Amino acid sequence: MSDIFSFKGASGAGWSQPGPILGESEARNSIPEGIVRSSLPDWPRASEPEIVRHYTWLSNRNFGIDSGFYPLGSCTMKHNPRLNERIVQLPGIDRIHPLQPESHIQGLLCIFFEMQEMLAECSGMDSVTLQPVAGAQGEFAAIRCIQEYHRSNGEGHRDKVIVPDSAHGTNPASASMCGYDIIEIPSAEGGRLDLDALRAAVGDDTAAMMVTNPSTLGLFEVEITEAASIVHEAGGQMYYDGANFNAILGKTDPGLMGFDAVHYNLHKTFSQPHGGGGPGSGPIGVRAHLSRFLPTPVAARREISTDDAEGIGDGFWYFWQDVGSDSIGKVQQWHGNAGAVVRAWAFYRRYGKELELMSEHAVLNSNYLRHLIMNPDAETSGRIHCMPSEGAEADFVMHEFTLSMAPLKELNGVTGKDVAKRLLDYGYMSPTLYFPQIVPECLMIEPTETESKEVLDKFATDFHAVLSEDPETVISAPHTTPVKRVDEVWAARKLVLRHPGTGFED
Amino acid sequence: MVDQLPNLGRESEMLEIMGLSSIDDLFSNIPEGIRRSDPLPLPEPQTEEEIWADAQRILGKNVSLDDRPSFLSAGLSRNFVPSVVSMLATRGEFLTSYTPYQPEVSQGMLQAMWEFQTMISELVGLPISNVSMYDASTAAAEAITCAVRVNNRKASKKDVVFVSSLVPPHRMSVIRNYTEGAGIEIRTIEHDDSGKVSLNSVASASGCCAVYVEQPNSLGIVDTGLLEIKSIIGEDTSLIVGIDAVSLGIIEPPGKWGADIVVGEGQPFGIGPTFGGPIYGIFACSENYLRQMPGRIVGQSWDSDGKLAFTLTLSTREQHIRRHRATSNICSNETLIALMGAIHMSLLGPEGLERLSLRIAAATESTRRAITRIDSVELAYPDSSHFRELAIRVPGKASNALQYLDSIGVIGGLDLGTWWDGMSDCILLGVDERTSESDIEELTSGLSRWSEGR
Repeated sequence: MSDIFSFKGASGAGWSQPGPILGESEARNSIPEGIVRSSLPDWPRASEPEIVRHYTWLSNRNFGIDSGFYPLGSCTMKHNPRLNERIVQLPGIDRIHPLQPESHIQGLLCIFFEMQEMLAECSGMDSVTLQPVAGAQGEFAAIRCIQEYHRSNGEGHRDKVIVPDSAHGTNPASASMCGYDIIEIPSAEGGRLDLDALRAAVGDDTAAMMVTNPSTLGLFEVEITEAASIVHEAGGQMYYDGANFNAILGKTDPGLMGFDAVHYNLHKTFSQPHGGGGPGSGPIGVRAHLSRFLPTPVAARREISTDDAEGIGDGFWYFWQDVGSDSIGKVQQWHGNAGAVVRAWAFYRRYGKELELMSEHAVLNSNYLRHLIMNPDAETSGRIHCMPSEGAEADFVMHEFTLSMAPLKELNGVTGKDVAKRLLDYGYMSPTLYFPQIVPECLMIEPTETESKEVLDKFATDFHAVLSEDPETVISAPHTTPVKRVDEVWAARKLVLRHPGTGFED
Repeated sequence: MVDQLPNLGRESEMLEIMGLSSIDDLFSNIPEGIRRSDPLPLPEPQTEEEIWADAQRILGKNVSLDDRPSFLSAGLSRNFVPSVVSMLATRGEFLTSYTPYQPEVSQGMLQAMWEFQTMISELVGLPISNVSMYDASTAAAEAITCAVRVNNRKASKKDVVFVSSLVPPHRMSVIRNYTEGAGIEIRTIEHDDSGKVSLNSVASASGCCAVYVEQPNSLGIVDTGLLEIKSIIGEDTSLIVGIDAVSLGIIEPPGKWGADIVVGEGQPFGIGPTFGGPIYGIFACSENYLRQMPGRIVGQSWDSDGKLAFTLTLSTREQHIRRHRATSNICSNETLIALMGAIHMSLLGPEGLERLSLRIAAATESTRRAITRIDSVELAYPDSSHFRELAIRVPGKASNALQYLDSIGVIGGLDLGTWWDGMSDCILLGVDERTSESDIEELTSGLSRWSEGR
């Protein structure tokens, strides 16, 4: 066990830095006497070598895509190209302040503009802003735009947002933060959108419907245009949750499906590293009728003139364009997660017009793995206690699929969670567990396009091995991880939320 | 050719195993009517070498804060980040992991975040910290909605919060977006001519759900009047304080003078200004707010062998469990940047923090003195104490002065007219730990020359 607070070097130990440019007491006297800090925080006193060893030790107790296969459905855990990390260390992004004049930031504005255009093109939208810093914030920003749109039409009374029961939890949470009531409609038999339920739910009070397509079951919603018509006829707007956009690039787009607004998860589709939970980036795109409500400003360009300073050499002058008085304003106080935008730019440049290949391989890998898991050979089949059932019946799935472990649980008490934990012993991250909630004992698997056939073959073999094992071994898993099953109830009851040794009480 | 796909060229082998002949079969569920007919109108794929060359060329056109003396801060710091910070944080096991839903294989990030929570708790003087918000603005906005959830029942001014009039407009805009849907009414706490909070104005906030003020405020003013607020508004109104995290090396943390929630920009610890993101917001609170707070939180526990272990806890507040009744929609947050912050804070240690704080105080004081030596330029708030930021009044338009400074290679600060009408003759100067005597000299001689040449 390495504990950062056990490093107790001498006073002043640690990383050295130059002294103040004035005498220490002069500096201290610039702060009013009554508000000078009385005692310093109880932080560790550690030298660089100790710090390096501590965080390296911690990193060895953490599992990333670099460590092994990470089939966490819906989260799109694909390889993160390292070039992108190198690019964001350049001073032309790392050492730039968002309030610098446009003549200082022509390069960044150019990349922002190119990204706005690319995202608009791929999604069939008219305008894009890169400001929202996470998918959930993109949802929130877009629903706020829709809210202002209705108000501007004198339809502020529309107070309901419809979501399918398979939706990501962020959808209802984001709409609720905008003050909307949520109507959750059940999925039809087979897991797809139920148009009858939708018809029953829409009305004069419908503000919007939020849908992800393909759905969280990995199914393409074949009746999506009909759904859009139903919502539009009722006067509502269609919102596309772009969490699964990585499945359809170049094949179809939300514009063609009839959506009015969309968010993109740059950290999923365009591979910004997930960093243990963030940062993400959640730009939004909208059709023309919603453009004037977007968060402000957006990147724009015009032909460069002789009066301008030096541009980047492509004949254009880039600038911030104020969205105008109807804009919802800001959702992040600067220009969003520029670092994620630049990484996503480098990622997209790698594919260019062949981005479609990314989606093809994501869908190929997903169907291939599903096929292997659901069709074991006779010998394997004979060893397996019980096969999972499909989360949803379908000839093909998109970039991800769901399995129900309910048959196994019924047979010998092994739950989806047990299988997930046992997979950790085999060197895999667990699939997404118990989501979507409409599939009992659900495992949601998204292999992504960056896994090789061999990895998928081996995973299927190991998955079958888990299904064949002594149930006790699975139920008590994991066995080989840095710690065994963690007592979450104790954690929630005792709430030890900080290091106790440092003594909060004065 | 695209180089990130291990199965490129092996498609037919895999399709054959599935009994298929074409990848198109897999997309057959997409109805004809909504298929894209043409290829994406995008450029040819590029190799790593080509992208790197483009990135260097395009981003190389930007003017980095390190290229010139810079006095542009306004809430983001031109800091110096120790070399090990990004080297350690970008180790693949951290960089390429996701939210630690499986604690058994995520102890590294969980422990690092629990240590982060402890360091933030120590810094601000409150017992509880989450693992980060997006930035200072969303941290402030969600602190307000959190406080309303906690206090609204007892409040006599229901759904009302009071916010300092010196919160800058871009941050205010974020706050308005977040409070709009919750039906929260925002009223204003006024400041007097010296930029200090008006305690009469605070008294009128009594009975509302929360008061939000900043220390130092956006004009850099350190205000001892804030120490009085909690006793004026009482227990049933939250005191939310926005901080400059580095200032807490010499300024008493708000947790010690009654703050219920402390928020702020974590960026000075861990990452460069990076064009405004990704950065991270600090959110810390007292126990009363724990079950209504937004964001992820790590708790200590034990594994089935009795070994010390960490896990995410209180998830029932969150969107993936609670859906539309969640305390926030936040899912992806800024964990990796918070990790960078934790490493930076660990390296500094208590005395390193104090020194960092003193360096900024010294640079602020040096700049203040140098400004008072220029006849044509004056301090906008001469009777107040400042940390990091300093507003000055120039003889003419701030935008003209800044343009002149830019022409001589000095990034002069922020035109306060872009924030508030009536301040278009004011510049907000911001210093940092790297501000040198010669930077200050270049700034002041530039300002003198501009004043004389007008």
